[in-house]
Amino acid sequence: MFSNTREGLALALPAAIFALLLFILPVGILLSEAFQSDAGWTLSGYTDFFSKPLNQTVFLRTLKLGVLVAGTAAVIGYAAAFSISNLSPVARGRVFGLVILPLMISPVARTYAWIVILGRTGIVNDALVGLGLAETPIRLLFTETAVFLGLLQLFMPLMIISLLSAMENIPRDVIPAARVLGANWFQVFFRVILPLTKEGLVVGGTLVFTGALTAYITPAILGGSKVLMLETLLYQQVNVSNDFVSASVIAMILIIMSFTANLLLKRIATARK
Amino acid sequence: MKNAISLSALCCALATSAFAQDKTLTISVYSFAQDEYKEILYDPFEEICDCKLVIETGNSVERMAEIEANASNPVIDMAVIASQDALELARKDLLAQLDVSKLANLSKLYSAAQDPIGDNFAVGYTFYASSIVYRSDLIKVNSWADLLDEKLAGNVALPNITGTQGPLTLMMLDKAAGNDGSDLTGVISEVGKHADDIVTFYSRSSELTQLMNQEEVIAAPVGRFAWSAFKDSPLPFAWAEPAEGQAGGMNVMVMTKGNGNEDLAYQFMDYWLSTEVQTKVAEALVDSPANAEVVVSDEIADNLTYGADLINSLNLLSPAEIIDNREAWVEQWNTEVIQ
Repeated sequence: MFSNTREGLALALPAAIFALLLFILPVGILLSEAFQSDAGWTLSGYTDFFSKPLNQTVFLRTLKLGVLVAGTAAVIGYAAAFSISNLSPVARGRVFGLVILPLMISPVARTYAWIVILGRTGIVNDALVGLGLAETPIRLLFTETAVFLGLLQLFMPLMIISLLSAMENIPRDVIPAARVLGANWFQVFFRVILPLTKEGLVVGGTLVFTGALTAYITPAILGGSKVLMLETLLYQQVNVSNDFVSASVIAMILIIMSFTANLLLKRIATARK
Repeated sequence: MKNAISLSALCCALATSAFAQDKTLTISVYSFAQDEYKEILYDPFEEICDCKLVIETGNSVERMAEIEANASNPVIDMAVIASQDALELARKDLLAQLDVSKLANLSKLYSAAQDPIGDNFAVGYTFYASSIVYRSDLIKVNSWADLLDEKLAGNVALPNITGTQGPLTLMMLDKAAGNDGSDLTGVISEVGKHADDIVTFYSRSSELTQLMNQEEVIAAPVGRFAWSAFKDSPLPFAWAEPAEGQAGGMNVMVMTKGNGNEDLAYQFMDYWLSTEVQTKVAEALVDSPANAEVVVSDEIADNLTYGADLINSLNLLSPAEIIDNREAWVEQWNTEVIQ
């Protein structure tokens, strides 16, 4: 594309310098604190972190909710993306607009909407009490269920967009051909659609899982201190305890979890070739 | 000659102006009510001292971290923080011992505010009571023990132990259980047993205001400084006067060690402690006065921690006890309550 590599490098240089000075360097310094002590380099920050029962619980809860949110988003996302991809071009454009609409609204506003829905005087409790299914309003806020719903709603559009983009690349005749050759819908999905959309699943899965791991507002508002996740714990370590070592350890764990999820999804996708 | 004199006068005026510009005092304060403070305290003081105030705001942890990070060359001259946080800074040798002879208004303060953490490392500028705010149309709270009563299960929020209200609440729960409130180990375990009955453990009073206005919570302990947010609500909230009494705390002024701006800092602290400023701050319902000479109307007093009788009746938790035990309390809290 360029007459020589120097031109390409020159064009990339400003962005590279920006990323190096304002992202890689400060994050590197911050993360290196997780390996330092007065005696030198150490892993004691990690052993200390995982020796505490609260931290173990928070780690497992974060992992569990991340997997659940990504898994559920994939299931719902495939159904939504498949139906959208079969619409007429005009209808597809309109529905796609609706899918990305939530992304244009602040996560804070979207999360507060859940308070209106899940609160003691919210729509769900009004319906439960009104239908006689519960005598008094039940506790929905500050539970793992509330955090799960909030995160799922927050990141679902990313999964649908990724899968839709992958599905639009499937040749139009492939699925009818599979059906004509006797494949049932279960076989069509696992032997045709899934292999052909695996890249979309890897991208969507990574985005949703990583997003669920690192979202702060939703767990903070819908979970509070009773449903701590790694990111809310990280905030607490910095802003309440002024413990930057533990915060760096948590940040490193989150990065490792994100990379591992991406590698794992890619490995799964490759294995299906 | 006339021109030369005019030129000299202009030079002098410019030099004076430049000097005034250089004369700055950097203070570190809580971020709430800054508009009121600007009008009542900051702007009038800048006129008096012919100097510029640089205001740094943030939560206690952030501001304490800033003081510690700049210990060798302080950027903050004077700060206002909770008494236990002041003691923590003093123990780290980050605070200057105050020359109280430079604080003419010190003698006007309630005795508890004159040397709250010992060795004149701090001086109190406001007290706050801490009790239970509740929905008066639904319940009546008579004791701190009501917070853990089965009748209120699923309707109560408690402050997190990491905030200033947390240890005060635990002290009063311990007293309500018939103990003296000095050893919080037992009461933390008790809260742990009731953890599922607690809606949430809040960190900021603004968080609680929202929860109570959304009817998620009908009773919770809170500092009196947050009462104004409840009294204007359309919902009927009441301030409890429990049988065990109200808890209390104090915020203090401190000066950083070796800041090089001591005279201006003393002048500012003394101005803040004056009857005039403390009265205006109280009338704006910003802070309850530590100056015993402040007189406010009954209506204002109702919203504050005001008067010798009330202040002397408060159950205070010693700053040293909080600092000495905080780490162990948080550890036990994280294991038995939050988990």
